[in-house]
Amino acid sequence: MSSNALGLFGDPVSALAAAGTLKDAGFARPELMSPIPIHGVEEVLGPKKSVIRRFTLFGAIFGGLGGFALAAGTAVLYVHPTGGRPIITFPPFLIITYEMTILFGILATVLGFLISARFPAIRERVYAPETAVDKFAVTVTCDNEDTFSRAAAILRAAGAEEVRNIREGE
Amino acid sequence: MPTEEKPLQFADVNNDIVRSLVVTGRNYYITLGIAMFVALACFFFPWFYQLYYGIGAAGMNHPTVWGTYLASFIFWIGLSHSGTLLSCVLHITNSEWRKAMYRSAEAMTLFSLLVAATMVMVHVGRPWFIHWAAPYPNQMGLWPNFKSPLLFDVMAITTYLTGSLIFIYMGSIPDFAAVRDRTSGWRRHLYVLLSLGWRGTDTEWHRLGWAYTFLAVLIIPLAVSVHSIVSWDFAMSIVPGLHQTIFAPYFVVGAIYSGTAGIVTVMFVLRKYMNFEHLITQLHFDNLGKLLLFLSLLWTYINMLELFTGWYSGTSAEYEQIKYKLTGFYAPLYWEMILFCAVAPLLMFSTKFRTSFVPMLVLSIAINIGMYTERFLIIATTLSRQYLPDAWGVYVPSLVEISILVGSLAVFVTLFLIFVKIFPSVSIYEVKETMPQPRKREASLES
Repeated sequence: MSSNALGLFGDPVSALAAAGTLKDAGFARPELMSPIPIHGVEEVLGPKKSVIRRFTLFGAIFGGLGGFALAAGTAVLYVHPTGGRPIITFPPFLIITYEMTILFGILATVLGFLISARFPAIRERVYAPETAVDKFAVTVTCDNEDTFSRAAAILRAAGAEEVRNIREGE
Repeated sequence: MPTEEKPLQFADVNNDIVRSLVVTGRNYYITLGIAMFVALACFFFPWFYQLYYGIGAAGMNHPTVWGTYLASFIFWIGLSHSGTLLSCVLHITNSEWRKAMYRSAEAMTLFSLLVAATMVMVHVGRPWFIHWAAPYPNQMGLWPNFKSPLLFDVMAITTYLTGSLIFIYMGSIPDFAAVRDRTSGWRRHLYVLLSLGWRGTDTEWHRLGWAYTFLAVLIIPLAVSVHSIVSWDFAMSIVPGLHQTIFAPYFVVGAIYSGTAGIVTVMFVLRKYMNFEHLITQLHFDNLGKLLLFLSLLWTYINMLELFTGWYSGTSAEYEQIKYKLTGFYAPLYWEMILFCAVAPLLMFSTKFRTSFVPMLVLSIAINIGMYTERFLIIATTLSRQYLPDAWGVYVPSLVEISILVGSLAVFVTLFLIFVKIFPSVSIYEVKETMPQPRKREASLES
């Protein structure tokens, strides 16, 4: 049964260094937990890609097209001639398009965030409540006791104040 | 004094915010009770009275068919502007001083928008037909007119309300998690749901950073569009004094101006009554003061421009409108507005004034009184003096309208008081970001 080694650190620099050492030692991607965003994670653990921007882009395009279709479709289906002016008029319909572009851009961004950050969490995940206050944690998944010992030794050597063995589902 | 105390630790921030949520003094309940009573007595009771007896209970009549309800609507939409908009601009420009105050500013946006939407319900007289403004198939074959600025307004405000709600929620997720770990009972259940299972992993921070920035970028043009569209409700008519191209920037600047003044008021109250003296400091008031001063100068310039373009147009109706505004029935209100919004803010050229809490509070309230007056005058002076002298008339709000105006403030205060006990009113993680990181601080203390 797999377990997780979790090392608690008092500062972000040591935690980041520990994560880097674990990665170099061949552990599958170590995870950092912190009360604030840590700068320099990508330099140590590799670049991160996010799909959020695509969600935003396609949401905005969908909203814009939908907004214009709503306004123009309404004008065509419920004709309301005014002083010989065209039925589909761009200036007012572009305002509806603009608002709907932003609305759906926002909604799609939220959806992208939830999907890419895997929210909401359905089952219990590895966590140390101290990391919401003033501690910085590094976790790695360990297949057996030997791997855990090796990870714990690396974490302690990097300056971990405490190392915990957290089993999945605990 | 804070400078003589030991430096603020990360844990102190958590403690302060959790305490502000769970420890509730007698004064809070008394204030909430008064606010709720005033909201019921001055807002909901007169509104039900008006619903029962009809819209005639309000003082609106020919030629002034719009009155204080719409002035309040513009005022509350305006007040909503600095919250989320300012927060987004400061987020994108990486302004550190934003971090202690933006959460409350965003809450202001949210509740101002809710009150503004309610003012529309009050104004329309028969709010049970409000769904007719929404596009959906129905047996009457009735669809909204998408060429009307009133419908632009519905779309813009719905979008802004949705965007603001999402923006404040997204920024609060890490804080909900921090509070979740420290609370029990119904609060814990609530924060477990709201925090979505946040753990503060590097991946979660990365995604939040991207999403939050995208939202900020989307909301800035949205906020500008909202008040531009509100201005078109007026500017697209042909009434002298309203039919002006300057109206969109005029409304946007006025909105940010009154919203920033509102933030100063709220910051003062939070600092004083939630004991956030070490989180909200003179620096925040100094920076907000500079922003207010800039906005007041811009607002004054646009006001001068409005008079100038009216005069330069050379039309008799515009001349009459300007003369009436400066010397007519509502002139005392006009000059009060100039005093509060154009003259008094010049005091903020003094650094000593900007960093003094009570004078800044008094000035911020004065600015918002002036800005409410501005919105009232936009409606009352113009509709009272249109093209034909036989259609001229004076509008004075009825007791029901004045009561609902006062009550709307109480509704806002009630919502805000409930908010400060549920949402962490200062961002825990962003305040921590402005502090020295743990190890570095210990090292500097040792040295």
